Amino acid sequence: MVFRGIQLAVISAASSAALLAFSAPAYAVESQSYVVNWFAGAANTQPDNCVGGINPPLEDQFHKELLLTGMQPVQADKVIKDYLNNENGHDVDTAIRYRGRYNGRPVNVFNNPQTIPDPKMKAVVGKAGYGFNLDGKGADDPKAFQDPETLEKGVDNQLFRAVGCLEGFRGSLANHPTFWYWIWQTIRDSQPAWLVTISGEDLTKDGPVTFTFDRALEYMVSNSGGEARADVTYRIDPDPRSHNVFKGEIKDGVAYVTEHGNFKMLQNSWGVPELNIRNFHMRMKINKDRSMEAILGGYQPWHHLYFAFAHGGLSRETSTGSLAGIYHLLKSNADADPDPKTGQNRAISSSYHMKAVPVFAVPPEPPKTAPPKPVASVGGPVPASR
Amino acid sequence: MNRKFGIGFAGAVGLALVVGSFLPSTETSAADKGAAISHTPGVPVTRRLSPQQYRSVIRDVFGDTVALGGRFEPELRRDGLLAVGAGYASVTSTGMQQFESMSRAIASQVVDEAHRDLLISCKPKAANAPDDACAHQFLERTGRALYGRPLTKEELRVQVNAANMGAKDLKDFYQGLWLSLASMLSSPDFLFRYETLEKKTEKNGVYDLDAYSKASRLSFFLWNSRPDEDLLKAAANGDLDSSRGIRRQVERMMASSRIEEGLRAFFTDMLGLDEIDAMAKDSVIYPKFDTMIAQDSKEQTLRTIMNIVYKQNGDYRQIFTTPTTFLTRRLGAIYNVPIVNNAANGGPELWREYTFSPDDPRAGIVSQMSFVALHSHPGRSSPTLRGKAIREILLCQKVPAPPGNVDFSLFNDPNAPNKTARERLTAHVANPVCAGCHKLTDPMGLALENFDGLGSYRTTENGVEIDASGGLDRSQFTNAAGLGKAVAESPAATTCVINRMVSYGLGRTPDRNEMPWVKDLEKQFSGEGYSVLKLMERVATDPAFYKASAPKPNVAPATSTN
Repeated sequence: MVFRGIQLAVISAASSAALLAFSAPAYAVESQSYVVNWFAGAANTQPDNCVGGINPPLEDQFHKELLLTGMQPVQADKVIKDYLNNENGHDVDTAIRYRGRYNGRPVNVFNNPQTIPDPKMKAVVGKAGYGFNLDGKGADDPKAFQDPETLEKGVDNQLFRAVGCLEGFRGSLANHPTFWYWIWQTIRDSQPAWLVTISGEDLTKDGPVTFTFDRALEYMVSNSGGEARADVTYRIDPDPRSHNVFKGEIKDGVAYVTEHGNFKMLQNSWGVPELNIRNFHMRMKINKDRSMEAILGGYQPWHHLYFAFAHGGLSRETSTGSLAGIYHLLKSNADADPDPKTGQNRAISSSYHMKAVPVFAVPPEPPKTAPPKPVASVGGPVPASR
Repeated sequence: MNRKFGIGFAGAVGLALVVGSFLPSTETSAADKGAAISHTPGVPVTRRLSPQQYRSVIRDVFGDTVALGGRFEPELRRDGLLAVGAGYASVTSTGMQQFESMSRAIASQVVDEAHRDLLISCKPKAANAPDDACAHQFLERTGRALYGRPLTKEELRVQVNAANMGAKDLKDFYQGLWLSLASMLSSPDFLFRYETLEKKTEKNGVYDLDAYSKASRLSFFLWNSRPDEDLLKAAANGDLDSSRGIRRQVERMMASSRIEEGLRAFFTDMLGLDEIDAMAKDSVIYPKFDTMIAQDSKEQTLRTIMNIVYKQNGDYRQIFTTPTTFLTRRLGAIYNVPIVNNAANGGPELWREYTFSPDDPRAGIVSQMSFVALHSHPGRSSPTLRGKAIREILLCQKVPAPPGNVDFSLFNDPNAPNKTARERLTAHVANPVCAGCHKLTDPMGLALENFDGLGSYRTTENGVEIDASGGLDRSQFTNAAGLGKAVAESPAATTCVINRMVSYGLGRTPDRNEMPWVKDLEKQFSGEGYSVLKLMERVATDPAFYKASAPKPNVAPATSTN
């Protein structure tokens, strides 16, 4: 797969105009926009990257955590039996939801995952993982992966390491993990589409480019088979909370982000409501069928991720695995942005796989009335590098 | 009025077909006999209402809040038109069940509490008992609107009696009315369009249609629906017995926006756009295809044509060359052009005018999805089907069917070395048995090869550059735009639309005797800037349009009863 094949004929004046309106550089004479078809954690599951196998089934995790709360084994056995048999739902839900303990009193474990002792779930031990060398330590970083595609060493992707031994997070670029697949498939037809535009003097040749990320005003249009439809026109949402511009370059047919700033994108709250990625990296290539694939990543606040995993409560937990366990996995594998008081890292390196198809992205027509003032960003921006 | 059916209507099920089988009415006409014509006209034709005509009549009579609640039988295309096929169409027992079902559903809605105050202009003295006067009033008015003529005294008496008996038995005036209304809606007088000759007008075996038949022919021709109140009044007071009276009605009707409905119905029929409803594509090969895009493609072509022939009242031939069309956001994805839709997410898509650049091969309706996708296979394009469609639909020329023993192996072999349709067809027509017909179709169809089986633009097929050159008779061209220009310049294209329009209005192909009339229309069409509106007006005001010969006694009507 190489970054070739962009035809001048398919580049619309409208999308070029859109880019110019959104701070594209003066040399941009050619541009191509894409709508994001798939967005998922970049997993690289291997048969042997979880010591002794993956984490046990959810009912086993529940049982273990109930015992950690001081519940008697016979009581825990009853809860799990009822859970598996779908009986005594209220009692089961209460026991599992309120399995946290604070001053000896039951508390909602999804909201207060720290109220349960770390169940010490497994994390990935393998060395192959997608992403980027974010901290510059290279091969000297003992926690780092080697990217199986670029063969770069020192790749930081602690999110994959943290959750990669849970069944719902295992997968590959070709077969996205169940959790990410489910989330994106659920929200992509009912949230404003994500747009990516690359512009440069000649997109078929090596040289400087500019990447622009926006949300559309329209939802993604899909074909009857469920995949995003190519060549559809989207209007760019002028909301600055999802507008990103990065400098980059095409080298040997692959387009890279070279100026690593902060990436931000609003999303349906079923997923991560606001995606914030610091030290943003991306590499992108064009497939023969004109679709685009990219690996992108950086550091993101791990409590944002925890919220995305946990806010569905017990129903969400059936696809993620123990949320209390995930909380402790994220916390212990976080690798950036240490809290100045506690030293606890507040950000975790992560990588995502993105697939997109070519579309037209155009500016919205001028509003007939003054637009409302943008609401302040939820949670504020990701802190700058310390 | 004494109507003599060519075949009896034996109950609701098993309705037989009647084609041109009416004998002249014995009623007299007091008005003038209309202008003489120089040719012997053909016979009148009885036609089954098309689904669109059925919908239009129901809408006109009861408004657009009444749902039909049923399905129509497939239509029959003959001599290039459904309007002609309607004269050959019967009603199967299943189809009659559907008509029955619709008649009950429609009648139920008309008499229900939500509609009765609006649609039934009188109130019964008591809602739980018969009211002869109110039933009479409603059924007389409604029957006239549904049948396009007044009910005879006998017909009205039967319906009123039925309503009264029903009301008495069911102790509900409106339920009684429902029985009679449902009966009228499943009557052949409603489901078919009959034409009756006026005996008094006979000259050398040529008759005028009677006034209500004239009104019906005119109304379906211009508006694709039954006559409205003004036209029925004109029929009743004798206005339609004079050329002046007919002209007055034609001018009124053509000034109405409803003329666009008539034009749309005609071009939908002529171009076979109804077939898009059943168009299927392989979703693996053409993932963008869905039924909404298919419907949009039909509407795109109609809007393109309406823009020229109706809004601009322009030259008909421009429909083959115009770079201007109308697109939705969905269609924009097929044509690979940016089309902004400002409607809310999930809302109906808006239509945008779009003009392709002058050097774009996308020009005219032949290059549009409705044509190139419809005349393709589910998984690939077809120069032969496309060329055949140009010959038969746009030029009214007949392309012979392939022989039964034709060998498609070279064409269909996926492992054959030929990469493009041109290469495959070249190999195929090496067989002289095939070559004759393919010479008629392929040179035109190959000019459309830049459009794949869905209508999206492409420059290569299986990695080989597409050669989109072609020819039509003496014209040679290099792409689809050139083909459109050649079609526009072909005299056959203008002759064809006249023939189709006359056939559409008469419900049959013009007889040989009527060709001088058609030739005259050709001259007028040319002299009036190829205006379709003018052509319609010429046809609608021509005395020949309202004359017919009586069916010959030895011509037996169809008698099959399936």
